[in-house]
Amino acid sequence: MNKTTHSCFLLIILLIRMVPSLSSTVNYTDPTLEPVVTENSVIRQKIIDSQFKCYERMNRAPPYKKKGLFCNRTWDGWLCWDDTPAGRVTAQNCPDYFPDFDPTERASKYCDETGNWFRHPESNRTWSNYTLCNSFTSEKLKMAFILYYMAIVGHALSITSLLISLAIFFYFKSLSCQRITLHKNLFFSYVLNSMFTIAHLIAVVPNPGLVKRDPVSCKVLQFFHQYMLGCNYFWMLCEGIYLHTLIVVAVFAEEQRLHWYYLLGWGFPLVPASIHAVARAKYFNDNCWMSVDTHLLYIVHGPVMAALLVNFFFLLNIVRVLVTKLRDTHRAESNMYMKAVRATLILVPLLGIQFVIIPWRPENRLAGEIYDYIMHILMHYQGLLVATIFCFFNGEIQGALKRQWTQYKTQWGQRRREHCSTRSTSYTATSITEVPIYLYHHDSNNEQLNGRYVEDSELVALKSGETSA
Amino acid sequence: AHHFITATACQEADYGWMIRHYCLKQFQLSMEGIGQRLWCDWDETVGTYGELTNCTALIAERLDCYWPNRLVDEFFVAVHRQYFRNCSLSGRALRDPPNGVLCPFILLPILVTLLMTVLVVWRSKRSEGIV
Repeated sequence: MNKTTHSCFLLIILLIRMVPSLSSTVNYTDPTLEPVVTENSVIRQKIIDSQFKCYERMNRAPPYKKKGLFCNRTWDGWLCWDDTPAGRVTAQNCPDYFPDFDPTERASKYCDETGNWFRHPESNRTWSNYTLCNSFTSEKLKMAFILYYMAIVGHALSITSLLISLAIFFYFKSLSCQRITLHKNLFFSYVLNSMFTIAHLIAVVPNPGLVKRDPVSCKVLQFFHQYMLGCNYFWMLCEGIYLHTLIVVAVFAEEQRLHWYYLLGWGFPLVPASIHAVARAKYFNDNCWMSVDTHLLYIVHGPVMAALLVNFFFLLNIVRVLVTKLRDTHRAESNMYMKAVRATLILVPLLGIQFVIIPWRPENRLAGEIYDYIMHILMHYQGLLVATIFCFFNGEIQGALKRQWTQYKTQWGQRRREHCSTRSTSYTATSITEVPIYLYHHDSNNEQLNGRYVEDSELVALKSGETSA
Repeated sequence: AHHFITATACQEADYGWMIRHYCLKQFQLSMEGIGQRLWCDWDETVGTYGELTNCTALIAERLDCYWPNRLVDEFFVAVHRQYFRNCSLSGRALRDPPNGVLCPFILLPILVTLLMTVLVVWRSKRSEGIV
């Protein structure tokens, strides 16, 4: 989704790559050994690149101007170190050459009082401290695996709950209205998004060979992934616009034309996804487009954030109108629409909050871990959340399901009684006469909104009474 | 006794002389072969540069010096001054395009998004017959 969380995935990738060979190619724990040229050409390439940049920097940077002793700028074989005043420890982020080096940890180097770099006492050679770079790797690997499986489970749960919701929407034709149609499209886009994410997580992320080969198919997968991300948020925007038009602009007149919504929800996200693909291919064509260190990702995330913001303002406007103007005039409808808006109002900030708090990952390790868990839940369990709030917690749908359930129960009950006993007709007669009363009482709660449903169930009760009497 | 031998194994003067006479000569020949015009093209020079680095490391190993060291730093700084003085700081690492290209790429979809939103709101108003 966004930079820091994608960097989590990058960490996952790096750490998963580590699994077959659990040690780096250089024995850095040996204090006597400085990094020598390794056989692995990719790693070596990175190190040579860094070396080149280091000497360029050493060449061009102005000479040390402050007073007092200092250690000269140097290349230690892995990282570049600037002129440092005597008696100070300088630190920078660990390099990412090796699979078990964590680039978020710090490597340090001590410049002693005499203006020379610290020499390791055992070997008497200049030594930088890279021990923190791989010391926590096993815990981080474990946590990375937990987050990875959490993501897959989240998306699987989302797909399941969304498919169940879609089945409910399609089965209960009586529920369908324009808003449900928009829900169906939203859920469908979430299902597709989860499918693409699972495909990406299972096929590409743990597969460094594939990433190295860099086939076109994995870039196409990324393109569709970005497209589906756009679809998700633009369908949320369509819901907001629909509610806004319904309540604020047209005041409860039904039947808008949905063509423009389909265009905005399915068609328009192609635009940022295509622009991102073109820009990525031209300027930042890394393997499988997996890197998240590029601002080009904002080509997709910028419009998504804009859509979220616009949606939020639409919803605030709706609430304002409902509260102020319609309170007195259209009481019943405004309650109903307030309930509809409530669901969307809860969802939009929840879906958008990840974009707001993402830049502020805490530095503290424990707080950082908690942050990671929360962000992962917010990101990967969205489909489940949307299905729950829009479908399972919806009063109308719950009522329809309950009615269906009692209908089935009475039908089974009837068949069982017919099958089991032909003699005790008095028993069946009394139990059948009880049933319509039960149904009627049960449905009286929903009478206000769903008048026609009460009629349906009464008809069912009457029919069952007729056939068995 | 053998500690004493290994402690004095690395002769810095020898090391300095050897990298200049072996490694640098080889590097000079290769760079002449590539041609001065292409010295700033990292794709062309990366192989030769890597060989130079290898060479200094091998000689360090031969002479029992640790690598890299102060002499290596000075050596490479001199090499850079001579061969890569006018080059831009490039490298094989991928980087974002300059801001002049990046900003339009990002702002354009955002503007189109807002336009599309306005369009959809306007059209859904009109389809009701309410202008």
